[in-house]
Amino acid sequence: MIIGRTRIELEPRLNSPKWLVVAVPLASVFLALSVGGIFLILNGHSPLHTYSKLLSSGYTTFYGITDTLGLATPLICTGLAAAFAFRMNLFNIGEEGQMYLGMIGGAWAGIALADHLPKLVAVPVVLAIGALTGGLWVLVPAVLRAKLGTSEIVSTLLLNYVALNLVNYFIFGSRGFFRDPSTSFPQGRAVSANARLGNFGTTNTYPTLIIAALLAILLWWFIRNSNYGYETSVYADSPNTARYAGMNATRLTISVLLVSGALAGLGGAMYVVGPAGKVDPGILQIGLGYAGIVVASLARYNFVAVVITAILFAGLRVGGAALQISSNPVPIAIAVVLQGSVLLFALGGEIFRRNRIRIRRIQPVVFSTGADA
Amino acid sequence: MNSNVWVLTFADGISIATTLILASLGAILTERSGVINLGIEGMLLMGAVTAFLVGDGTHNIWLALFLAVLVGMAMATVHAVLTITLRSNQIVSGLALVIFGTGLSQFIGKSVEGKPRPVRIEPIDFGALSDIPIIGPVVFNHDPITYLTWFGALIASWYLFRTRPGLVLRATGDAPATVDAQGVSVAAVRYAHTIAGGALVGLAGGWFMLARGTAWSQAATTNGIGWIALALVVFAAWRPLRAIAGAVLFGFLLQVPYTLQGQQIRIFPPEILQMLPYLATLAVLVVLSTPRARRLLGAPTMLGQPFVRDER
Repeated sequence: MIIGRTRIELEPRLNSPKWLVVAVPLASVFLALSVGGIFLILNGHSPLHTYSKLLSSGYTTFYGITDTLGLATPLICTGLAAAFAFRMNLFNIGEEGQMYLGMIGGAWAGIALADHLPKLVAVPVVLAIGALTGGLWVLVPAVLRAKLGTSEIVSTLLLNYVALNLVNYFIFGSRGFFRDPSTSFPQGRAVSANARLGNFGTTNTYPTLIIAALLAILLWWFIRNSNYGYETSVYADSPNTARYAGMNATRLTISVLLVSGALAGLGGAMYVVGPAGKVDPGILQIGLGYAGIVVASLARYNFVAVVITAILFAGLRVGGAALQISSNPVPIAIAVVLQGSVLLFALGGEIFRRNRIRIRRIQPVVFSTGADA
Repeated sequence: MNSNVWVLTFADGISIATTLILASLGAILTERSGVINLGIEGMLLMGAVTAFLVGDGTHNIWLALFLAVLVGMAMATVHAVLTITLRSNQIVSGLALVIFGTGLSQFIGKSVEGKPRPVRIEPIDFGALSDIPIIGPVVFNHDPITYLTWFGALIASWYLFRTRPGLVLRATGDAPATVDAQGVSVAAVRYAHTIAGGALVGLAGGWFMLARGTAWSQAATTNGIGWIALALVVFAAWRPLRAIAGAVLFGFLLQVPYTLQGQQIRIFPPEILQMLPYLATLAVLVVLSTPRARRLLGAPTMLGQPFVRDER
């Protein structure tokens, strides 16, 4: 790019220096807070006061931290789901709907099966069936993408709206299996006590957090050490190379999308096993599936980084909820504005991490003619 | 149930189609240049909330729509800077815009959440023409923006296929290196059309709020129309005139659940009916993905690919 007499050049780096790996995300967060600050001022709120309250309620108090860890649990799952698909350039953006289906599947198992099973078996069964239904929800987009090349972006997204209406139908539109029959108030039927895990003390943190974190480490290890992980990495870098090496692209595409859907579904089932204990339309309001995409992108599809990013993001949301309790409440949507802007700035910052910026002055070219000599 | 109801549903479908046509025209211009912008849903919401707030404050419809257009352009500019100059991943950038737009529209719209629409874009009064059976409600009962939108699709089609800048635009999406070799700036073409596309999407959001919306409600205003518009671009094979046909079809599907509810027809519960437009869109996408259909569609070859001259 040339501006006046200076030329700005991008020179790809072979290795990005360590300080930039830290500096770029930090700068993104700072710039995002500044953008959020502008809108806060325009709406008559003090940015400094709002941010200090946001951060202190989400990250410093005991119940703030445990609320954050509780909310982070399903978010880790949707983040892993997005990371698992995105790193292979398969843009599954249907985590939201897959998570709802995981909740429905998990609740079904919790109501229909858990009473007949010992607790030690019931919880894993609920989680497994939630993962299964989440995976099945992405089956059609996955097969279409692998066999016909249909864009998985639009197809997975459209199914989010179908899943949303399905949850509404089960709770508000019908008096069926998932609806609590004992009251006319529309709410989900509680799952068996066998299908629930107790919270830690009086907090909102559940043991499922440990499962989610272990799963992230397991995935990280698996992708590095298994043949399957190697194949997905090759395919991610160059689908053609993968094809020449005899890897089965159809099988890889379908399986990666199914695992991604299953991870998101697991998040929904963890919501059942943990805080909800039923099909809870409250989950429709939190947008944990969409937030998972942001988390995965910021973590640059690294599974262990997903855990940390998810916890930081959940804190933002918990802090945002705390802002409601005030004489001049700041809309909780500020948390979503911050999520979106952090991602936008982080995307822009990538170029500085990947390239060295060179600024050169262009010397004016002087042609000498014979007459001057 | 009488046939009149279906005529009215069809007329309503044509009306909703205005948003779909505007949004998909915006997407067609953007994608023809080789840039894919998935942020439409977020831009529609921002256009809608802008039009609502400005309309609420000034009661001036045209100012409200104008600012909605500006907001659409601003968001498209963010996408353009990120993807064209900074070469970020276009998919993730678009998604970030959706999340940002969803959050910001909810944030700035919080104070008016649930408030009824302040001003309404009124249909043009055609007098007796509107009373002609069938043709009256379907053709002569819309507002000026709807007619301008149909006209705009004609202009866009002429621009794309009959003018030199349109030729350059199509070439930029298909073979940017060739355009570059001709001495035309690929970045300039992409910037111009991404931002122009944003203007149309902003207008789509603003119009939808002031013509079709009843009250501002972040959760229910667009309801995925932006994603349907993106699918519509594929359906229209990146051609503006086909977008009209597709938009009328999808508009009709979006309206059917409300008609059936209004007529107290309860064959299916309303939640199930609400799934219909999304499932139909998915079905259409599948049909269009068959190898035969794909050959006929002709998507811009370099869609989603950043252009870097030096890397060869």
